Amino acid sequence: MMKFSAFLIISFASALVHAADPKESDFYKITTFDTPLETAMEVSSIELLPGGKLALGTRRGEIWTVSGANAEAAKVQYQLYAAGQHEVMGLAWKDGSLFTTNRYEVARLKDEDGDGRADLFDTLTDKWGVSGDYHEYSFGSRFDKNGDLWIVLCLTGSFNSDIDFRGWAMRVKPDGTLVPTCSGIRSPAGIDFDADGEVYYSDNQGPWHGSSTLQHLKPGSFQGHPGGFVWYDKAPNMGPRPVEPKDKSRMVKERERVKELLPPAVYMVHGKIGNSTSFIVCDTSKGKFGPFQKQLFVADQCFSNISRVFLEEVNGIKQGVVFPFLQGFKSGLIGGRMNENGQIFAGGSDRGWGAKGGKPHSFERVDWTGKVPFEVHEMRARPDGFELTFTEPVDPVSAGNPASYKTRAFTYIYQADYGSPEVDDVIPQITKAVVGADNKSVRLTFDKLTKGHVHELHLDGVKSASGLPVLHASAYYTLNEIPAK
Amino acid sequence: MRRSFPFLALLLTVSVSTAEPQVITIKTLRAQMRYDVADFTVKPGDEVKIVLDNVDDMPHNLLIYQPGTDVLDLAAKLMDKPEEAFKSGYVPNDPRLVARSKLVQPKAKDEFTFKVPEKPGVYPFVCTFPGHAALMNGRMRVSLVTPVLTGLKFALYEGKWEKLPDFNGLSPHRQGDVSDGLIQIKLDDYKNHFGIVYTGKLKAPKDGDYTFSIAGDDGVRLLIDGKTVVEHDGVHAVTEIKSAPAKLKAGEHDVRVEYFQAEGELGIYVAWKGPDFPNTALTKWLHPEASLNGKVAGKQNAGKTGIPLLVGTEPVIYRNFIVNAGARPIGVGYPGGFNLAWDAAQMNLALLWRGGFIDAALHWIDRGGGDQPTMGLDEKRPSGDASVPLAVLESPDAAWPVAEKKKAKALAEGYDWKGYRLDARRFPTFAYVWKGVKVSDRFDTIGAAESGGKLLRTLVLEGAIPANAYMRVAAGNLQPDRDGFLVDSALHVSVSGAKIFGNNLLVPAGAEIKINYSWPDPNATTTQK
Repeated sequence: MMKFSAFLIISFASALVHAADPKESDFYKITTFDTPLETAMEVSSIELLPGGKLALGTRRGEIWTVSGANAEAAKVQYQLYAAGQHEVMGLAWKDGSLFTTNRYEVARLKDEDGDGRADLFDTLTDKWGVSGDYHEYSFGSRFDKNGDLWIVLCLTGSFNSDIDFRGWAMRVKPDGTLVPTCSGIRSPAGIDFDADGEVYYSDNQGPWHGSSTLQHLKPGSFQGHPGGFVWYDKAPNMGPRPVEPKDKSRMVKERERVKELLPPAVYMVHGKIGNSTSFIVCDTSKGKFGPFQKQLFVADQCFSNISRVFLEEVNGIKQGVVFPFLQGFKSGLIGGRMNENGQIFAGGSDRGWGAKGGKPHSFERVDWTGKVPFEVHEMRARPDGFELTFTEPVDPVSAGNPASYKTRAFTYIYQADYGSPEVDDVIPQITKAVVGADNKSVRLTFDKLTKGHVHELHLDGVKSASGLPVLHASAYYTLNEIPAK
Repeated sequence: MRRSFPFLALLLTVSVSTAEPQVITIKTLRAQMRYDVADFTVKPGDEVKIVLDNVDDMPHNLLIYQPGTDVLDLAAKLMDKPEEAFKSGYVPNDPRLVARSKLVQPKAKDEFTFKVPEKPGVYPFVCTFPGHAALMNGRMRVSLVTPVLTGLKFALYEGKWEKLPDFNGLSPHRQGDVSDGLIQIKLDDYKNHFGIVYTGKLKAPKDGDYTFSIAGDDGVRLLIDGKTVVEHDGVHAVTEIKSAPAKLKAGEHDVRVEYFQAEGELGIYVAWKGPDFPNTALTKWLHPEASLNGKVAGKQNAGKTGIPLLVGTEPVIYRNFIVNAGARPIGVGYPGGFNLAWDAAQMNLALLWRGGFIDAALHWIDRGGGDQPTMGLDEKRPSGDASVPLAVLESPDAAWPVAEKKKAKALAEGYDWKGYRLDARRFPTFAYVWKGVKVSDRFDTIGAAESGGKLLRTLVLEGAIPANAYMRVAAGNLQPDRDGFLVDSALHVSVSGAKIFGNNLLVPAGAEIKINYSWPDPNATTTQK
């Protein structure tokens, strides 16, 4: 789970913003719910139930059902559905049952007598190892398009793999069969799907992870931390054990040696985007959450914020860009889900890993106000630069001026030590900025692109057609691959 | 004391020597975001070397600041500019810094030497790595009083005792000086069956009320000027600190500490507190509880208490790590004061106890690492070991399959955990499959645990039960008792058809096995031999 943290009072960027400038809350509003006083609602997973209800799983091992959370906050109602589970880090509803992922099992919970509380705790699988180390968290997904559940298993102490399949992603088939699917997991804290049903998980800064990341769980791949390689012996479906990555190298270099190594789709740049990546939500609300359809929203426990990710596929590899999106949640975000109305429910805790939010736990909701912020909508890699689209028409003069942009590229040391500084700085020059005919796109030409580097873009000089600055003028694009055309 | 107490591993070393800089070793506590020493005292102007030994899995540092510095605020402000903070190695740009370590990577050490400021006071220290400061901080006291024993001598005696002997009537095996003035046990060849008498002088800085504290494994007695001030005799662990007041005149006093070690774990802790100095150890070993707050350590030496789970009219379930119940225990507190932990790796009853259920504080405060001890009384592991309930034996005299120590937390081979179901009263029935046999295991209560009540366990086996299949009901010292058996004189078990084979109480595995558990009534006439 969360492996990095800061606690403190948030200093809103608003102090630096001109009074008339738009702010996040003009577009996305956070509603904070009161939670039952008899518990600490340390939300670690959220699932949607029929009839607009929700299920909240907590670090204390409770599952609460919630009614009315999609409407007036004061009228929200809670019922304890189950207690005493060993941390609820995954919830998935199917056919009248709630499937939970706890520390050592995936179980099907069902309320058979209709009193609102689960009576049946039917284990689907428990065939992975638990050594007794507190850090061996197990995060579970919803059902994928094939009807499988995915789980990501944190390393022992977030460093080693002392017992079966710590540091792996596994699929749970409907009959309970457990299929080893990806190696190289370190300390996950969220798992979900993109609009096409591809599976992503979030990992946290630490050994072999210079920064927290968003990673594509492509079956058969190695996700970066070699600590769990020993279990290839028990995973014949995964083929032979990969060669070990070299210490103090670079991801782009090791990809040439270790053919199974899949680079992170997006570096959630440490200290800038967040410190401790957690839940993932895909906007499948068809516009009810605003203009960012099919994009991913990725939370951070330490920063108590949500960032926005746009992904594309280049040369068969997922990669993309992360933008700041919304800050000011009350605690460290861990669990989250979007409903069909385009409302994000988010909750969490700062226990053991401090969070900027400042409260020990929280359960909140994000609603789109209906106003469209002026933001970079999508950012795509091009052979010689990037193409930006915007949510609103741009001012062609400022957007067409290369001086309105600043850029820098860097990468991380791929190493066994904890984390990494940003290294191998490159300062590309933007030679051209050409505004598209629709005034909603800009084609930027760079004098050089560096494969494997995070390309940082700041758009402080760009204005909208109505003279507004970009609400979040920073973007971090992870350039795993440079497209040929 | 034979039992091993996990926190002994946390005992730390503060060694003092006049020629060399004073060395203070501070360890990080694994996965707790704490230093093991949160409070230490040094003399103004001394050279001090601090060794920061980071045994944790995250990077840590240690920065010491001038008295009055709000180190939590300093650490918090650092993260206003995370990038700068990262590049600075998390060192705030603040002139009040006295000394600091480097950022120490996991499983690494750093040491730094500095001259203690002349100004007496409380100097806060802190880890500034993001998120750590709130828990990871402490105090360096700069005090003119650094009370140590002078002229400290030891006399070692050999002998096997259960109480402190009269050392005056014995001849020492060897004796000598303790050069650094700190009471300590030099193990050399002696680990069991010895006693030591320490003698030395202690200088009280002024007339007044002092407090002396001791803890030992095993017996300890402290005498000042020939009079016993505090003692804790007998065979026991160091978990309990005993304290007593003493009025002292300014000046030198004779100190005598008597100590003996029976077998197993050992340790000695002596400390004193004066009118104007804090609790200060006179031993090389500091007591972990004493270093925090000098509080008396109770049964739950892990130090986190305060969220006891109360059992009302329904059973309460608690799935988390419980001492001696494997890595997949399911704790159940039943109404009537019956409690158990069922091990979902071995598919067996792991622990029974009565009275209070469990305190969730260890797992619900901070990150929640470690195994939680149970809360109540008369805790018993009927099977003695991590072991399965059912097995096929060539003969009932054969050894029962017991999980190897390193596999005690792994899933038992041949068993498949299927979960549990709660009935209308919320009582769980556990389910698993063994050799194609569907097994259910449930517990019902009769009466109250405190007053002769019973826990009735029912196993139902569905399917073709293999030949020569047995259930091991209990293991240990088994004595026939009334309608059943007494296990280690601690638990009464009755089951129809059960027989003792060596240390095992076995019953042939049939379609239904009913077992009654109860605690022997201490007032009843025992049928034991």
